[in-house]
Amino acid sequence: MAAILTIDKLRAGYGPIDALHDVSLTVEAGEIVAMIGANGAGKTSTLMSVSGVLKARAGSIRFQGQDIAKLPAHQIVKLGLAQSPEGRKIFPRLTVLENLQMGAFTRNDAPGIAADIEKAFAMFPILKERRGQAGGLLSGGQQQMLAIARALMARPKLLMLDEPSLGLAPQIVVQIFDVIKDLNKAGMSILLVEQNARMALRVAHRGYVLETGRVTMSDAADKLLVDPRVRAAYLGE
Amino acid sequence: MLPILFAEAFNWTNLQQQCITGLTSGALIALIALGYTMVYGIVELINFAHGDLFMLGSCLALTIFTAFGLAQPGAIDSASNVTILLAIACCLVAVPIFCAGLNRSVDYVVYRPLRTAPRLAPLVSAIGVSFIFMNIGLFWVGPQDVNFPDVIQDRNLLGDDANLRFTLKNLLVVGVTVPLMIALTVFVKFTSLGKAMRATAQNPTAARLMGINTEFVIGTTFLVGGALAGFGSVVYALYVNTISYQMGFQNGLYAFTAAVLGGIGNIPGAVLGGLVIGLVQALGTAYIGATWTSAIVFAVLIVILVFRPSGLLGARVREKV
Repeated sequence: MAAILTIDKLRAGYGPIDALHDVSLTVEAGEIVAMIGANGAGKTSTLMSVSGVLKARAGSIRFQGQDIAKLPAHQIVKLGLAQSPEGRKIFPRLTVLENLQMGAFTRNDAPGIAADIEKAFAMFPILKERRGQAGGLLSGGQQQMLAIARALMARPKLLMLDEPSLGLAPQIVVQIFDVIKDLNKAGMSILLVEQNARMALRVAHRGYVLETGRVTMSDAADKLLVDPRVRAAYLGE
Repeated sequence: MLPILFAEAFNWTNLQQQCITGLTSGALIALIALGYTMVYGIVELINFAHGDLFMLGSCLALTIFTAFGLAQPGAIDSASNVTILLAIACCLVAVPIFCAGLNRSVDYVVYRPLRTAPRLAPLVSAIGVSFIFMNIGLFWVGPQDVNFPDVIQDRNLLGDDANLRFTLKNLLVVGVTVPLMIALTVFVKFTSLGKAMRATAQNPTAARLMGINTEFVIGTTFLVGGALAGFGSVVYALYVNTISYQMGFQNGLYAFTAAVLGGIGNIPGAVLGGLVIGLVQALGTAYIGATWTSAIVFAVLIVILVFRPSGLLGARVREKV
């Protein structure tokens, strides 16, 4: 399998402080890769750097062989890299339908966009029901569905999900993770950031553990699930 | 004194007349208010230079009328209607382009480098730009009030012996402002760029993750807001027939008040706020006295903000976190 995303010795941060120190990570095509770690470990910063919102200070980010570390955010989406961000970041005063249309902002094929909106509605029927409502009026779980559906509207080759289970009821979390598995079965490569390490490592093929801006462990997901250090630090055992 | 006041207060025709006057000037205020509210909505900056941008638009309109030979005393009587219409058309094309370009350039040169700076830095810069504009205006048209050629007949469109007056000038104001507001609404609501504008205003980071070039969108917002001020300045000059380098301050202040009154960042709110302020101005002047107009306008602002701190139409949807 070929690597779709290769991050090599990435350094990035805010103001005078580096949040990431030499983070290296690979996502192979067709894989789900989980990134786990505590609050402030640098998971979100890594995704934001890949998306071009946080500028890389050193290192390289290669997407399908192309170095994207210096590209502006709006060009990165066009290459096929979409993100469902932490906290969902739904446009609160745009309707559900308009939120989805924004996800397809870089595309010009109106019929394709219309077809993908129908696909999104088939995946999450509740969004179809509430298509005319303001995004800010949805419940947390519905907003998470909308955030994922919105990211998919870009027709990404790699989907990045930041904390999709955050603040959601357990049965909704199960539903969201089922969708993640289905997407992957259909061929989507996924980079998944989660604090819910158990859920993440169960669906993922491989996992990385981040601590204070550094990758401290990386292995097959099933191995991480039984690793004593991971169990002690992230699985609460 | 008191009976006269009462007689006036219950004169139905007079009230209607004041409403026409108020709504006309309100529509003009609304057009300027839109520029404040759109820019605030997208970069959370009170663009204090906006009123002075409007003033510079009027200065350019005067220069264009001078170029057409319409500014000298008596020139209008001998000028043909074609020349006058041509001058107006020329103004309605050139002035909005000028104001749009100037507004966009100021954003690029002054505000854009301060995008991530603390909120006060661009605000103080905007005040600085306001003074620069005012001095350019002073240099351009001089320190006195300047007559703007009165090319539009004040004929009553409702008939010469009607009690109410609705003149060609009123029609000009309404005929320019209302279609512009409709066009803006359609643009913001239905076009891809308009939706991107709203998305950027609501969550700039998410907008970037959607592949929206937010700097381009912000630039477009300054262009559109500037163009609206440009249209407003031409219509204002033709309607009021006096311009001065200081006109930006008072009109800008009223427009800014309108934007806050309607709910800053909210486009229909700015229009509503403009109309309310125009009405309050006209009714206050007619029934209480011109000396008190500004006091009344701001008293109304304070009362409304006490009961609705986010403005008449502000923050209708609460965000879930």
